Amino acid sequence: MKVWQFSEQAYHPAFDVPGAMRVTLPQHHCDPAEASGLLNRYLDEYGLADSLGYNLMVNEHHAAATCMSTSCMTTLAILARETSKARLLALGIPLANRSNPLRVAEEIAMVDLLSGGRLEVGLVKGAGYELFMSNRQPTRFMDRFWEAHDLVLAAITNQGDNFSWAGDHFHYRVASLWPRPLQQPHPPIWMTASSAGSASQHARLGYTCATFLSGAVARSVFAGYRAAYREAHGAEAPDDRLAYLAVVSVADDHNAAFARAEQMKGYFATAARLDPQFRNPAGFLPVKDNLRMLRSGPGAIRPRMRDGNPLPSDPTIEHYIQAGLMFVGTPDDVFAQLNQFHGEVGGFGNLLMMGQAGTLGHRETAENLTLFAREVMPRLADLPPAQPGPDIRYEAFA
Amino acid sequence: MSEPVDEDVLSGMQNIQVAGIDTEILIEGNGEPLLFLHGLDGLENSISLIRLLSRDFRVYAPSHPGFGATALPPHFTAIDDAALFYLDLCDALDIGEATFVGLSFGGWIAAEVLVMAPHRASRLVLGAPFGLPTADRREQYVADIFMLSPAELQARMQNSPSPARVDPATIPEAMLERTVRNSEAAALYGWSPYFNNPKLRHRLHRVAMPTLILWGEDDRIAPVAYGRGFADAMPNAEFRTVANCGHRIQIDQPEVAAQAIRDFAATSSAMEEPVT
Repeated sequence: MKVWQFSEQAYHPAFDVPGAMRVTLPQHHCDPAEASGLLNRYLDEYGLADSLGYNLMVNEHHAAATCMSTSCMTTLAILARETSKARLLALGIPLANRSNPLRVAEEIAMVDLLSGGRLEVGLVKGAGYELFMSNRQPTRFMDRFWEAHDLVLAAITNQGDNFSWAGDHFHYRVASLWPRPLQQPHPPIWMTASSAGSASQHARLGYTCATFLSGAVARSVFAGYRAAYREAHGAEAPDDRLAYLAVVSVADDHNAAFARAEQMKGYFATAARLDPQFRNPAGFLPVKDNLRMLRSGPGAIRPRMRDGNPLPSDPTIEHYIQAGLMFVGTPDDVFAQLNQFHGEVGGFGNLLMMGQAGTLGHRETAENLTLFAREVMPRLADLPPAQPGPDIRYEAFA
Repeated sequence: MSEPVDEDVLSGMQNIQVAGIDTEILIEGNGEPLLFLHGLDGLENSISLIRLLSRDFRVYAPSHPGFGATALPPHFTAIDDAALFYLDLCDALDIGEATFVGLSFGGWIAAEVLVMAPHRASRLVLGAPFGLPTADRREQYVADIFMLSPAELQARMQNSPSPARVDPATIPEAMLERTVRNSEAAALYGWSPYFNNPKLRHRLHRVAMPTLILWGEDDRIAPVAYGRGFADAMPNAEFRTVANCGHRIQIDQPEVAAQAIRDFAATSSAMEEPVT
């Protein structure tokens, strides 16, 4: 199991401001001196994680107090120079919100070169609310995503003459990627899924498939991936093509771990603070998906706990553990929870670990990362083969 | 942006092909032809006004491509696609010269059609149209419907009380699908630039037929001051406010609108009669 440290790099002092944390939160709530300190602190924690044997994952959002990383590749360009061992994962670049995919390809190549070929590239759909910041057209969003994907891959892998590109969404007189990335034919590509359908698509392309905080639904995502991979490639999908993201809090005693988890839990509450009209902009989802969502009601996308019930609206740490969204406790507890979850969902080879989340401060984050690296990570190296548990399914929307 | 209405209001809808595009259209009444172009809330929310107009006109009331029951044509990307579609529709139905009536988003389409082909309309009635610049840098003239909460949007669209919130699971599939399509199509045509064509104001001089612009006095989506810009840009336009009326003239004041259109048709015809 590869473990990846991930923090959303929140501006958590704004969590006390009432109302939305995204799109509409006025920027005067951001104290630049505080933001400067926090961003540097999060980079220090990534540096510590590198020295402890983690790989590193960064993301990006816009107009959000919950995530100050507004460019995956800017953050990774820094980490490329400040770290030496870790694989560096952008998860991800919201491709259909970018106006210039060729520039995305250029940034991929630069960071891959700077890091000595340690870059892994997540190309993601991203959340609907990001459209209010990118202002790109919501309709035919995924058509634009796939055209941008085809163009980025074509540019990165091209070894022939330069080419021009005239698509439905993008036009270039000349695609000439200087410099080229170090990893050939291209850095590993990741995508995200919360349904078997989208996982199947990633499997056919041979990309690594991550599912975020999806609990029991990870099982159907991974099963969909494995089946499609087998069909497309005539072999079992390697475990390292599957990834699961969750919050991890570990401490020497149970109470300390739960106290730490309470601070990290703020991530869930703040990430969801968004006015409803921004959640799903008109035209963003295909008509049939919108109809399905309207028919099934808001409860349908709530993660389910091990007993099949949806996560309550104000969950406790125990609820989050039962839903597979948090792994919390002593090193033995956390290992046992991870081992059980790994078995239930049919196995995966990457744990995307939020070792910092919410308001968790530097000292406790460092302790969390250090203890996990020392006491849990080595035991994840050879987990017993997955034993799928009870099949708990619900419809989720990628 | 539009609340579902009963299915029976759509009885009588016909399906036709216009230059290869599936089109639904309501054709009612007898008299001079009138092309009715609905607003953001879809054809289904203009039925009372259409019925009133059909007493004096032969009303052709299509759903814009992508609205109502029809999917967005894959090649449509902007308002000029809709405008050209209506030139095809007028040919397909052999509508010669017609009275054009366009409300809100439909008013923008009417203006774009008549910029291209002014001779298609004997007269034009615009009800609180979009189409002129909806903002200037930091100053917004027209409220951004995509940024408003569903409750605020409903409240601002009209003076009449907002319809009661209905559980979507209880709405007939076909009607729910219409509301989803209406939203999707609104985003295609109006996301950015926001419900306007920056070039329109330089072209409106071509739309010189007798024109009546109706504007709800209480319009809290596109205020009256925005509306006066149309009258200023058009050579032959009369601007008239409608009392006790918000953006959805067809919901707040359908009788007043129908009467205004009838009267305007009568006077503009009289003015055209040759001097003997």
